[in-house]
Amino acid sequence: MTLTAFTLLLPTPHPCVLAIPLFSGKVAAGFPSPADDYVEKTLDLNELLVQKPAATFFVRAQGESMLGVGIHPNDILVVDRSIEAVPGKIVICALNGELTVKRLTRDNEQWQLKAENPNYPDIVIHEELDMVIWGVVTNVIHAL
Amino acid sequence: MQTLIALVDCNNFYVSCERVFRPDLIGKPVAVLSNNDGCVVSRSKEVKDLGIKMGVPVFQIQQLINQHQITLFSSNYTLYADMSSRVMSTLEAFAPSMEVYSIDEAFLDLTGVCHQDSIAYGDLIRKTVVRATGIPVCVGMGPTKTLAKLANFAAKKWCKTGGVLDLSDLVRREKLMRIVPVSEVWGIGSRTTLKLKQLGIHSVWDLATQSSQRIQKQFNIVVAKTVLELNGISCFQLEEISANKQQIVCSRSFGRRLTGYKDLFEAVAEFCSRAAEKLRKQHSVTGCMSIFIRTSPFNSQEPQYQRSATIKLNTATQDTRTLITAANRLLKEIFRAGYSYQKCGVQLSQIHSESIPSQFDLFDFADNDLPTENRPLMATVDQINRRFPKAISIAATGFEQSWQPKSERISPRYTTDWQDLVCVK
Repeated sequence: MTLTAFTLLLPTPHPCVLAIPLFSGKVAAGFPSPADDYVEKTLDLNELLVQKPAATFFVRAQGESMLGVGIHPNDILVVDRSIEAVPGKIVICALNGELTVKRLTRDNEQWQLKAENPNYPDIVIHEELDMVIWGVVTNVIHAL
Repeated sequence: MQTLIALVDCNNFYVSCERVFRPDLIGKPVAVLSNNDGCVVSRSKEVKDLGIKMGVPVFQIQQLINQHQITLFSSNYTLYADMSSRVMSTLEAFAPSMEVYSIDEAFLDLTGVCHQDSIAYGDLIRKTVVRATGIPVCVGMGPTKTLAKLANFAAKKWCKTGGVLDLSDLVRREKLMRIVPVSEVWGIGSRTTLKLKQLGIHSVWDLATQSSQRIQKQFNIVVAKTVLELNGISCFQLEEISANKQQIVCSRSFGRRLTGYKDLFEAVAEFCSRAAEKLRKQHSVTGCMSIFIRTSPFNSQEPQYQRSATIKLNTATQDTRTLITAANRLLKEIFRAGYSYQKCGVQLSQIHSESIPSQFDLFDFADNDLPTENRPLMATVDQINRRFPKAISIAATGFEQSWQPKSERISPRYTTDWQDLVCVK
């Protein structure tokens, strides 16, 4: 370095104000907590319920056709669209344009949408039926 | 290694977003309307097939709407923004670098990612996105952004492509260029198209075979670069980081015509708040503000009036109160009683980073003694509003906001509000 630059120091036109949160915790007057070194992150339900955020949608259940697997009216279902709908999965599908939740099954090459409630009939999937899989239900959120 | 750029573009994006939650509308004519339910901004294939053009005012097609039972939606930007971020984050997994180009399209750099079978890779992208999000997309590929964009246009237009097309192959490229009009090339606007036609340049091929030097002389550097890009020579790089906006505009049509100063000022003040919020979000300050007001251009019976005014701010600011005070002054200058105003807007320019110290102009003892800016106060307001939307506003923006635009056909906020979840039986 042959040239030393001069730095002209001027007072800032907007003095910085340090914001101090009102409740910043207890004042540490004594010994530091022995647990300080063991502090880890808190538990986040998203981590448990949502594997693929971009493909995960929440929908609300109506009716009692799936009571047998613990889906009650007004429950929130966690739906992952990226999971493949294989036989045995609880799926959301658009049946003749209407969204419905049922169990997808296959017995002897026959695909069916089964309710988990004996009062509801099974739906046999045939060619004329307008049925599109919408996603796979991974969890039920049920308020008690 | 041969460069390979892909442009992934969502099909009829707003309509597709609505259909994800309304599967009963698949295969039926659906259109989404602009702010204030004025014009058509997104059309399903069925609506396009009826000959309804983009941007057409609703009142001009009322008969077709009734006759074909077209389902109309007001724009639900909350839903579209959420669905867009789902599409974009799904795409991220497919390429080491990506440029989100707009709400419904992104460029992906696939160089070295899929040199074997680009079509199969494009197909995988399509299938993954539609399965994860429900949004159908088309994938266009080529050695440059301009060619990727052209490939995407062709993939959308010709369904036998299966929604995926790669223009790396020279023979296929020429074949396509010969049948596509030059107006479809990325960046070639209507005025340039007109001038090109006068020179006998009609197809994309006509343009691609021009000398870029000659084109630069007759047009400009951008058109010349486009010629090179059409020949596979990359001139436009992927822009991964979105640059801060150099201009912020907030404008809207009103739900009803406004005649009084008070109502109009409320709307202007609200747009100042929104614009200032955007400004602070990108950590910038503005040195210049314009506002405009106008009557409806569609109603030729009424007296027409349209004015704008600009103020240069002595000190660059990001304070809502400064902007509202300045806007009040501007509005007083251009407001005339006796007109039915339909739209107003606020535009901020001379935007730069807030970390650059304000330039005080020694010789500008101007008349604008505006409230001094208070950054901590504004930061606090933003913080509170992020947690409790619209909790704090400047009183000048009004409480009733009767001027808010119409959105009578808006769909629920399926993905962002617990009260609005879609129901399944």
